Amino acid sequence: MKETILKLDNVTKVYPNGTVANRDINMEFEKGEIHSVVGENGAGKSTLMKMIFGIEKPSSGTITYKGQEAKFNSSMDAIHAGIGMVHQHFMLIPSFSIVDNIILGDEPTKSIFIDQNEATKKCQELSDKYDFELDVTAKVSTLSVAKRQKVEILKTLYRDAELIILDEPTSVLTPQETEKLFDQLRQFKQQGHTIIFISHKLEEVKKISDKISVIRNGVSKGTYLNEELTMEQLTNLIIGRDLDSDMDKYKTHEDFNNEKALEVKNLYMEKNNKPVLDNISFAVKKGEILGVAGVEGNGQQELVKCITGLEETAYTGDIFICGNRVNDFNIKKRRDVGMAYIPEDRMNDGVAGELPISDNLISTYYTREDINKKVFMDTKKIDEVSEELVKTFAVKTKTAKANVNSLSGGNVQKVVVAREYNTNSKFMIAEQPTHGIDIGSEEFVHHKLIEMRNAGAGILLVSANLNEVMNLSDRIIVMFDGKIAGYFKDANDVDESDLGMYMLGAKRQSIEETGGALND
Amino acid sequence: MTDRSDKYSNKYKLSISNPKVFDAVKMGISILIGLTISFVILIFVSNNPVNAIITILTGPLTKTRYIGGVIQSFIPYAFAGLSAGVLFKAGAFNMGSEGVFILSGVVITAIATSPITTSSILHPILCYLGAIVFGGTVMILPSLLKAKFNTNEMVVSLMLNSVYAGVAAYLVRTFLGTVQRGSNSSKDYLLTAKIGNIYEPLKISVCLFLLIAVTIILYLVMTKSRLGYQIRLAGTNPSFANYSGINAFKLSITTAAIAGVLSAMGATTALLTQTSYYTPSQSLVGIGFSGMLLAMLGRNNPIGIVIAAFLVKYLEQGSQILYFVDNKVPSEIIAIIEGVIIMLVSSQYFLRRFRERKLLEEGLEEHAE
Amino acid sequence: MLNNIIETIFSMRFLLQVIRLATPIIFASIGAFVAASCGIGNIAIESIMTFAALAGIIGSYLSGSAWVGVIVAVIVGMLTALLITFFSMRLGADPFLIMIALNTFADAVAIFILFQFTGEKGSSASLATKSLGVIDIPIIKDIPIIGEIFSGQYVLTYVCWILVILTFIVLYKTPLGMRMRACGLNADAAKTAGINVERLQKLSLALSGLFAALGGAYLSINYLKIFTKGMVSGQGWMGVAANGIANGNYLSLILSAIIFSFFRAVSIIFSSNSSFPTDLVGAIPYLSVFIILTVVSIVNYYRIKRGKVEEQ
Repeated sequence: MKETILKLDNVTKVYPNGTVANRDINMEFEKGEIHSVVGENGAGKSTLMKMIFGIEKPSSGTITYKGQEAKFNSSMDAIHAGIGMVHQHFMLIPSFSIVDNIILGDEPTKSIFIDQNEATKKCQELSDKYDFELDVTAKVSTLSVAKRQKVEILKTLYRDAELIILDEPTSVLTPQETEKLFDQLRQFKQQGHTIIFISHKLEEVKKISDKISVIRNGVSKGTYLNEELTMEQLTNLIIGRDLDSDMDKYKTHEDFNNEKALEVKNLYMEKNNKPVLDNISFAVKKGEILGVAGVEGNGQQELVKCITGLEETAYTGDIFICGNRVNDFNIKKRRDVGMAYIPEDRMNDGVAGELPISDNLISTYYTREDINKKVFMDTKKIDEVSEELVKTFAVKTKTAKANVNSLSGGNVQKVVVAREYNTNSKFMIAEQPTHGIDIGSEEFVHHKLIEMRNAGAGILLVSANLNEVMNLSDRIIVMFDGKIAGYFKDANDVDESDLGMYMLGAKRQSIEETGGALND
Repeated sequence: MTDRSDKYSNKYKLSISNPKVFDAVKMGISILIGLTISFVILIFVSNNPVNAIITILTGPLTKTRYIGGVIQSFIPYAFAGLSAGVLFKAGAFNMGSEGVFILSGVVITAIATSPITTSSILHPILCYLGAIVFGGTVMILPSLLKAKFNTNEMVVSLMLNSVYAGVAAYLVRTFLGTVQRGSNSSKDYLLTAKIGNIYEPLKISVCLFLLIAVTIILYLVMTKSRLGYQIRLAGTNPSFANYSGINAFKLSITTAAIAGVLSAMGATTALLTQTSYYTPSQSLVGIGFSGMLLAMLGRNNPIGIVIAAFLVKYLEQGSQILYFVDNKVPSEIIAIIEGVIIMLVSSQYFLRRFRERKLLEEGLEEHAE
Repeated sequence: MLNNIIETIFSMRFLLQVIRLATPIIFASIGAFVAASCGIGNIAIESIMTFAALAGIIGSYLSGSAWVGVIVAVIVGMLTALLITFFSMRLGADPFLIMIALNTFADAVAIFILFQFTGEKGSSASLATKSLGVIDIPIIKDIPIIGEIFSGQYVLTYVCWILVILTFIVLYKTPLGMRMRACGLNADAAKTAGINVERLQKLSLALSGLFAALGGAYLSINYLKIFTKGMVSGQGWMGVAANGIANGNYLSLILSAIIFSFFRAVSIIFSSNSSFPTDLVGAIPYLSVFIILTVVSIVNYYRIKRGKVEEQ
């Protein structure tokens, strides 16, 4: 009988704005095991880990650590209790040395000074003990991503963590580096550490885990022994949801002469000498939705940046919007030739929270004739337009003069969609259009996107939500590791677990097969 | 960012839950606290504190020439406030207004001392035009460096202000000075350049109407024009402005130019209505900086700024009258009142709990209905 | 005339002038640096120096002791800094606006208080105050040249240089300093390492106030032995500028401060020479700060553009 180190009983987390991140989660972690927690993006894995690590507090339920109820007020309490966490976004200070990063917050001292010799010795010993092959006096800014991750792991070991949480540790690693990390994790296991491994790359999960717990939509879907599960079963557990067949009736396909709203040819982009976009070619026709499926961080964000021109980025290849080569256009010019854009970072890029809804509803076409008079803007017309948009998009507010900050997330997104809808553009990028919003608003946004498509707009839908991609798209491309890993000519014929295999890198099509994304 | 305090913010009724009412109440309470603190100070420094505070508050009303003094002196400050308000609204911390005041004083003096026209209408207009073109240009430099190279605009503008002060003093001494005034000051302005009063007792000149016109135009520009819209967007969320396709570089140059023009108008008004010669180390010193305080007091709203300028100058006049009666209280006491009010008004959380409790009650009531 | 200039600049008199002028600017610089290290831009240095300069004079007048004056100045400086944190952290005000406001009415408030003690608005000349003097270091003072430089300087100049070294040691060699820098470089990383970021930021701003206050006290109690209206005259801002140029590098902070002092010395020495226009000579220090700051930012801009700048 193994010893239970961590136990979650009916843990629920409700955020102040009403979002339920976790509901009645029950899980048990045993000492000395590698236990994976898997689920889609936004399924609630990260929130759960934050509660274990003391960054968030559960709304209800109990967390029992080493037989005692754990009530952590901050991550400091969790660290003292022996829990360490390697965050997905590294918590490192690049201009500090490895040693300084490791000892920060728990420094060995000699009188009032930091005992650098002692610290370096301790860190180097620790690094050598686990074959990390680090020179601990080096600056973190000089390190590769894989080495930075090792520093993060050393941070937890330095504080004698018995339970180590790794949040998406392989998302930044190459396969070889991942292999090495796994060797090390097995070594930790032998030394009695417990590992919680968060991931959505199923192959890796299958490879490393003793046990696997699945979370879907904030609810735990059981814990299984690794050998009990096949890949297919696991995929179904993670993404198995009933398709919203309701959408199908909207899918009346009209032909718009194969005119192209967007054409991307041979797009290539590098980051840290590693290709993040590798020879990407595809087209979005007018009157269709092209879905881009994929796990976050496989090049989708960079793709969107190249197409929208939101930031200056260096890339090669050609981008055409409604027939215009836009490589040298700034975002304003791209909008002028017919682009609309629903941004992923809603609160930062999508709205100005301290301004009225009406101001936010016109920002991307405020110079348009119908809302301007000769000298001034036509405030009366703007009020009319915005009141109408508020009504048609069912934004929950008493007036369009209220500030955007007074709205809930779903309603903020409706404001963004309403504005972009009202540009009457022939090409639209919808980037994670329903991320983190309530189901009612989600459905509403979906219907509006379909409506736009039926009116002849070409829509590029980039989403980590597989269900969304499958329900809305006419054609689908899957991105993996900066490449188009799969292309599906008819979204209705796609099998979701098959799609999942492409998303997780288990399957890959040839260049001939993916060529249809541009030419069909 | 959906806290409950905003949930009912769109209820337009006379309750503290209405943000506009709340702002007004907050301003009122801040002013009361500011006056109370100054009263406490007066208790320590004055022999007759009650009389002193009454004099500050009502003194200017006792004689028409006092009110006239307020009317004449507040106009340049109001222009400086409008100038700072435009910049703050755009999220810029260019503090060049002070330097624009002092340096365009030289341009104004050069025009006002040379007999380029005999028309007493054209001459002041030329002074204004010269100052406007010059001031608008000078103000751009810090904003340009900030927009292009991310140079610290605050430090740059402050250093330039000091440089300009030296340059202005040098130019006046070398080219516009007169031995009669120890060469620190300029020659007398030609009579044609001076702006007389339309209504002498209250010292109302055409400049008052200029200020009113500029304020109304600026208010319209800020609330109704495309430019004002751009400034609002860039000032509240620069990345949203960028996403919406607004050119940040062009906008920051435009805003700085407008601010420079407004400051230059203030400088011209001050010199042509209040003095007959220019002393760079005195005439216009401090007006540009005061403008920033006025912008904060007026919450960057042009009309609010002009009202703030009038009230501050009114209180200063009151304190100057007090100084005649009770020479223990210098007029700088107004700065203390002003400072307290500004700090409280800028504080988001000040009185917030009071409002939240009210909101909660209203929420509960609504629920009961 | 060129010879004359060169001769002056290389004279001992000039060097001593630079040392004297550097003290308040260095105080201001390390003040700005300590706060910035912890992630807070302190742009209120100028006003803190003004308040402290006056507080020092008044403290010295009331107690009859110059050292009590220094202590009063320091207390006032730290309280002013904490006032900023009170408004920004407790009351949710924009710290920038609070500091701009402080700077803008600092002179008026100082004059109001000065007037209560002297009945004058210009200077504290009528107050009988004690001042700190100079320190003669035995033995060293008799060595030619070195004696002139290292001995016989103002008391607070020695304090200043000791603090330059102490600040460096605390910031770079002790756990406290390392944690403070961590807050400035990556507050999230500091937080996950269990550091109370807000508390450290308060502390760093208080220290910043302390250093600025010593700079103010040096001006009024030690160097000029009087408080006059507008005496800080941009020296606090030079500290802010030096910090901007240093961009986290302690050595370039001190160097920038010394360069600014050099130009102040140039300005002061040549303004007494009637062959130069005094008004323009007086603008030299500010012009030098403007030019240096601008050039540094342009160079940085192109370095970042070419991707040569290391991430912080």
